[in-house]
Amino acid sequence: MTNLIIFLVLMTLGYLVGQMAEKRHYKSIIQREKRLSGMPAIASRFPPTDKRFDQCLVTGNTVVSVDYFKRFIAALRNLLGGRVTSYESLLDRARRESMLRMKEQAQAMGADYVFNVKYETASISKGRKNAIGSVEVLAYGTALIVCDRGTGHEI
Amino acid sequence: MKFEHREIPEGINVTSVHPLRELAVLLSGAVVLIVAVVYILGLSAGFMAPYIPFEVEQKLAASFPVEEPESIEVDAYLQQVTGRVVEAMDLPEEVAITVHFLHGEKVSGDTVNAFATLGGHVVVFSGLLEKIPNENALAMLLAHEIAHVKHRDPIVSLTRGVTISSALGLLLGWSDLDLMGEAGVYTLLHFSRSMEQQADTEALHAVYKLYGHTQGASDLFEVINAWHQASGSGEGIELMQTHPLDQKRIKALKDLATANHWTEVGEITPLQQRFVDSLKGREGMLRFNR
Repeated sequence: MTNLIIFLVLMTLGYLVGQMAEKRHYKSIIQREKRLSGMPAIASRFPPTDKRFDQCLVTGNTVVSVDYFKRFIAALRNLLGGRVTSYESLLDRARRESMLRMKEQAQAMGADYVFNVKYETASISKGRKNAIGSVEVLAYGTALIVCDRGTGHEI
Repeated sequence: MKFEHREIPEGINVTSVHPLRELAVLLSGAVVLIVAVVYILGLSAGFMAPYIPFEVEQKLAASFPVEEPESIEVDAYLQQVTGRVVEAMDLPEEVAITVHFLHGEKVSGDTVNAFATLGGHVVVFSGLLEKIPNENALAMLLAHEIAHVKHRDPIVSLTRGVTISSALGLLLGWSDLDLMGEAGVYTLLHFSRSMEQQADTEALHAVYKLYGHTQGASDLFEVINAWHQASGSGEGIELMQTHPLDQKRIKALKDLATANHWTEVGEITPLQQRFVDSLKGREGMLRFNR
């Protein structure tokens, strides 16, 4: 009985707080994506050749944890199979947040574009099955900063 | 070359389903799955376990320590009643019953209880023996426990417990679904409740055979019921108990007797005086020792 009560409290808490955090995060993501839309992030390895650019590695890294509610749903999914929808939003948020952080860094450097953008995903919980359930997404790319001096550097 | 940022539509990488809806669907699916697994395994263990030879049970039980009887008089009388009950119940030849009596202080206060375990061992706590009003009730108690042995309930329960807990362990062990195991436990309780009901039925049969009437048999449950109420351990919700509720058991016994046209009124056989005295004497000794 005590188990059930603890479980219900954790589920309610996880659901309410988790949903609230997710909503707030999405709101901020959408806002910042609009603001940074002037900074294209491109997967291509070949930068434009019309100008000379300075290059710099930019990275954005995010770790997002699951709430109890999401983890319980995912565990049930393990039993029955199917899309783990409760983790989908988690990864989506982590990817977009990482991209934003990378772009913010590039913007601070005065870059025009970020080229050769890639993602890396890692699970923090690896090896500690139930202790932590969180995901890490790293976005990285090459920021291209227009050289004012005209001559620029060799690419 | 001109690069521009195109806005990506929202919700491409996320399935739009309400989390609570998903929880409801998954939870009911998982409960159905677990109950089905437990039920199927429980049934198959129930079918298989009786084929385990009784000798194997006895060997398993041999690892339990067997204590010397504390009072010869009490033990002798218990053996005598047991012998009569065993005869009335026509047990299979290889099944042997050993009755032990244990005084409650060693276990947990004045436990009013008795149980049957592997290898035909029946244990009665002195807390219960002291409260039993007559021989008919004592015979009912012993017959109930012996019926468990006859039905091979201890080995069935053990096999069931082992298979089901290993299956649930495999299924749920690695995830945080431990709570789902409780769905399985409640299904198990249903099994053991039906075992109790069958043992009650068989025991009443034996009592009728022994005494020619069923008077006094339900006194046993009155005693247990009184203890439940006094100790505050309460009856609680039937769903969560291994045993049927006391009042229900008494009523079921009455119905059984009526259905079989057994005489319900008859002469009560008192307990042997030496037995009662030595039980009381033991009590006095214990007080003195304290």
